[in-house]
Amino acid sequence: MKPIGARVRGLALAGSLAGPCTMLVVPSLAAQEPARILDAQSILAPLLESYGVSGSEAPVRATVERLLPAWAKAQTDTAGNLWVRVGKGEPAVVFVAHMDEIGFSVSTIREDGSLDLEMKGGFFLSLFEAEPALVHTGTATVPGVFMPRDSVGATPRRTPSAFRVDVGTASRAETEALGIRVGSTVTMPKHYTRLAGTRATGRAMDDRVGCTTLLLALRRLDPARLKHEVIFVFSVREEIGLEGAEAAAAALGTTPRRVHAIDTFVSADSPLEPQAFAVTPIGRGPVVRALDQSAVAPPVLVDSLVALARVRAIPLQVGATNGGNDGSVFAAWGVPDVPIGWPLRYAHSPAEVIDLKDVVNLGEVIRAIAEGW
Amino acid sequence: MGRRFRVRLAVVLLAAAPARWLGAQVPAASPGDLAVRLAGMTAVTGYEQAMVDTLLTLLPGAERDRAGNAVLVFGNGAPRRLAACPMDETGYAVGGVRPDGWLTLHRSPGRLLAPGPLFDQQLEGQRITVFGRRGPVPGVVAVRSVHLTRGRGSGPPDPFTSDDAFVDIGAASAREVEALGVGVLSPVALAKRPHRYGTDKLAAPMAGRRGACAALLAAARRAVAEQGMVPVHGTTVIAFVVEQQLELRGLLTVATNRGPFEETWIADVAPGIAALKAASLPTGPKAALGRLNGWEIGTRYTGTAVETVALGDVERASARIAGWLRGEAAQ
Repeated sequence: MKPIGARVRGLALAGSLAGPCTMLVVPSLAAQEPARILDAQSILAPLLESYGVSGSEAPVRATVERLLPAWAKAQTDTAGNLWVRVGKGEPAVVFVAHMDEIGFSVSTIREDGSLDLEMKGGFFLSLFEAEPALVHTGTATVPGVFMPRDSVGATPRRTPSAFRVDVGTASRAETEALGIRVGSTVTMPKHYTRLAGTRATGRAMDDRVGCTTLLLALRRLDPARLKHEVIFVFSVREEIGLEGAEAAAAALGTTPRRVHAIDTFVSADSPLEPQAFAVTPIGRGPVVRALDQSAVAPPVLVDSLVALARVRAIPLQVGATNGGNDGSVFAAWGVPDVPIGWPLRYAHSPAEVIDLKDVVNLGEVIRAIAEGW
Repeated sequence: MGRRFRVRLAVVLLAAAPARWLGAQVPAASPGDLAVRLAGMTAVTGYEQAMVDTLLTLLPGAERDRAGNAVLVFGNGAPRRLAACPMDETGYAVGGVRPDGWLTLHRSPGRLLAPGPLFDQQLEGQRITVFGRRGPVPGVVAVRSVHLTRGRGSGPPDPFTSDDAFVDIGAASAREVEALGVGVLSPVALAKRPHRYGTDKLAAPMAGRRGACAALLAAARRAVAEQGMVPVHGTTVIAFVVEQQLELRGLLTVATNRGPFEETWIADVAPGIAALKAASLPTGPKAALGRLNGWEIGTRYTGTAVETVALGDVERASARIAGWLRGEAAQ
């Protein structure tokens, strides 16, 4: 989910000798979990662990293609969006989930071999300071570290002014020999990790969960039962300005009946957040993003969607939050946008937390819309 | 010879010369391998015993002393000398369990000030591990969603502190927390995922101290394996000590219970050795340590989550320690 106002500004792990402290308690036994939770997890985990900073989504696109049902035919447009069209008949209903994630790109390679960075998307810079880094060259992934600030000064501040990446080289030539160039993207290592119950954490839940729910719906859809065409768009460059969705909207023009951005609902379900709005607890169902900073979903459609979910016995919350969504760029063609998300804690941090029950239920909402709304 | 006597004799021999008898059981592992392994472990001050368990496994003949240190003794008599490495790290313990399932933290050791102004901030929005009674439990430390700060300022300007930390392990109630074996005083630390980069760099919280302990451990294992190479004469004590950051309790226990020593060598990062030399120690235990010296392990980004050590430096330090164990002049 793109924070409104965000702009482009600018491994070998220990495995040889596993110790007793590396074993984590698995909070719930997999064998006892509903198959639907495990199914969602089997899609989400590889998607989340794929890397795709805005503009460099190819690894994520490849993972999506690998996870599509065998019958689905996917096409990539010139913007990089991946399209899957199902069913026949107009007007089409469109679902959009974005493949990209926040991160950095290399802006300069210094003489000492270190890298200056440019932000891709909106986030707190302090969350990356003094953390492991990965530089993606397109052909390889080069490990390094986000360098901590040199000094904190007399009055330490939370946010560093800027920082660099050290890939363990001593000169620009050594760095370039690793395949690193200006424009290479930079992320932090990420791992899908289960928490207690049906909860999970990892970076880039936003919006790999959205992609997961499209895939879940596609896997459960019976294309023969659809009364109209349904278009699933896995979009690019959402975090830097909804650019992929803009290309998709322009391609479709006035033809869609509705668009549903399937993206994060940034939740205030945390002791740190003011409880003025966005109070949608995780685990209590997906959320109709009825009001955000880019769109207002038509109230009559919100009510209709709530009724549909009730008939299907799918839990569904309704709320208002911040940020923008891919569906909002369809407004210029008069296409109504009814964005739907799942509640997310700690958005755009390395520690985003979800509840897998919400993922399963959002997949069901998408299927219900595709089949009967 | 009676059966009972033979058993007693065997017990006495095993106790007297563990290194000599158990040397063949030490599999090869390089100092670098051990550094990576130890860097993946957690030993919050006062809660080091999981790491001690591992060290006892890796160092046949070593035993746990009354302070919880892992100690191995070669030889007997005078002169007596000590080689030690501190294990512990500043971390946290669960300070409270909220009814909604979030945990709050207290720093351990429980000093008022963190080791640095940005030390606690390394927790914010990152993966942590809570070491509960049923085993390690993964969690995260809450952070505000950037979207929800829009129009409300850009968040607090001051660094994050442990008082700002709410730990989320996925539990929705205090009862769920308890069911995971987590409660007040469960140790908490950043999740440890040693990260290799460059030609031989290892980044992790406490990578320097872990590298130093790996250097000593590898040298000790080599000494055990080489059976009879050490000591030349007298007693050599090797100790992996606890609670270094809490008035050096582990080290001083070794000094007062196994000393006095003519000399003590500490394997650690430079700030750790400097702090030890500058520490105001009780006269008796200080005298029991003898001459203080250090095997320093160089670090970059010291005290951060990406504290970096060169594995080549660990290998070289281990070679120096091995030479000292054999009685060569210390370097």
